[in-house]
Amino acid sequence: MAKILVVDDEEHIRLLFREELEDEGYEVALASDGLGIKDRIDNEDPDVVILDIKMVDSNGLDVLQEIRNNYYNLPVILCSAYGNYRVDLKSIAADAYVVKSSDLRELKDKIAQVLETRVPKKE
Amino acid sequence: MIGLEKNPKNVKKVDLVVGIPSYNEASNIIYPTEQAALGLRQYFPDLDAAIINCDNNSPDGTGNAFMNADTKDIPKIYISTPDGVRGKGNNFRNLFEKVLELDAMAVVVVDADLKSITPRWIKNLGEPLLNDFGYVAPLYVRHKYDGTITNTIAYPFTRCLYGRRVRQPIGGDFGFSKQLALSYMNTDLWNEDVAQFGIDIWMTTLAMNEGVPICQAFMGRPKVHKPKDPSADLGPMFRQVISTIFDLMIAYSENWMSVKWSKPTAIFGFGLGEVEMPPTVAVNRENLYMKSKQGFSEYIDTYKRILSEKNFKKLKEIFSLELEHFEIPTFLWAEILFDLALAYYKKTIERIRTIEILIPLYYGMTLSFVNKTRDMSIQQAEDFIEDICTVFEQTKPYLIERWGS
Repeated sequence: MAKILVVDDEEHIRLLFREELEDEGYEVALASDGLGIKDRIDNEDPDVVILDIKMVDSNGLDVLQEIRNNYYNLPVILCSAYGNYRVDLKSIAADAYVVKSSDLRELKDKIAQVLETRVPKKE
Repeated sequence: MIGLEKNPKNVKKVDLVVGIPSYNEASNIIYPTEQAALGLRQYFPDLDAAIINCDNNSPDGTGNAFMNADTKDIPKIYISTPDGVRGKGNNFRNLFEKVLELDAMAVVVVDADLKSITPRWIKNLGEPLLNDFGYVAPLYVRHKYDGTITNTIAYPFTRCLYGRRVRQPIGGDFGFSKQLALSYMNTDLWNEDVAQFGIDIWMTTLAMNEGVPICQAFMGRPKVHKPKDPSADLGPMFRQVISTIFDLMIAYSENWMSVKWSKPTAIFGFGLGEVEMPPTVAVNRENLYMKSKQGFSEYIDTYKRILSEKNFKKLKEIFSLELEHFEIPTFLWAEILFDLALAYYKKTIERIRTIEILIPLYYGMTLSFVNKTRDMSIQQAEDFIEDICTVFEQTKPYLIERWGS
């Protein structure tokens, strides 16, 4: 069973994602900000991270750089209420970018896609 | 093979090298050389460094201009191919040999005609190499019509094949580690196209397949060099780049057959302030239209032989469209490129002819791209290129199914 770490400062979003993703058969861990993300990833060992961008205590795009520099192949899906961050070049270090919606089909599709992505891993 | 070397300071060992390949760049090479020296002194003061000009014994005096550049305490080394031996790739081969001899741990390469390079470029291309990355590709903001070979072929094709999203696989400015230099030196995958302009895509593709961690460095400023109207004659570069892509595709078929979708790389080099916009690149749509239609008529029998029946029929329909409505759908473009790659692999026709018949279709795809993105901003065009890549990844099973049959 794949494990998903949801990093989002809004509690109702975290709870919604947990409920929906657990229904899909995923194990879900939650974090309310991106502070100490390295420790969190080391402890939880997720297969995918879903990362909000505009958070009260941290900027998801900076958190993304920290993740990518330490976990080269860990899939990260940016999930924001705003589509405009897509123009920020920092966002291309993410595997995918999804604009938040009450319908989680796109997010679920992206999760399935990043989990089935295969590239040679000699690194 | 190094035919000539000038090493006035008798440098024998360095940590970091900046390489500048050239041919007849006497009027341009001083600027990037001096900027590179500033970058080395400002950002790598504790490392022993050298700047190497790898040249084709340019008759315009490039070597003298380089040696006269003011680099303060940073030593310069000039190396050249023997008389009569040309080619950017040959210059790189000499560079690989020299950096291994100097035991340098990292190498940064910049073009000799760069007008927009800053010292920061050296930091951004070099620093990731000191932090466990093996290959650093550049990330610039480019005008939507600058780099149409990259946008319509090199980027979507290499991304869908090898699964790494390297936006400028033939960018010309990059960094690589000693380990990768050794792989470049020792591989059997070298031919005359690589020795010429195939070298950039060759280096990026080998880096992807060697599995070294890849990083893209944001350069902050656009690459200001000699951009060209995409409708102008292509010259040998197009053939050399495409042949190299197809040759490596054959060599690495076991690797790419197992790749599904794609992954990003790490990104380095933010915090540069306001991003500078690139100069506009003009494009002559009428010329693209005329050249693509003429070429399609000339090679129509060969297309019929090589392309799948449905793709040939669709293409015939498209080439009856008027200029304003001319459009090659992305899924069709992907399948056509895959059909041609297959023809190249299976030698359905002479390989060089496979590349020749791609040229009118490339002009057509460029026109289609221009028609689609005319009213788009650079960012919107970038999103469109992202969509092109997604379609290539979705279409890849078409290639896999036919490659093995």
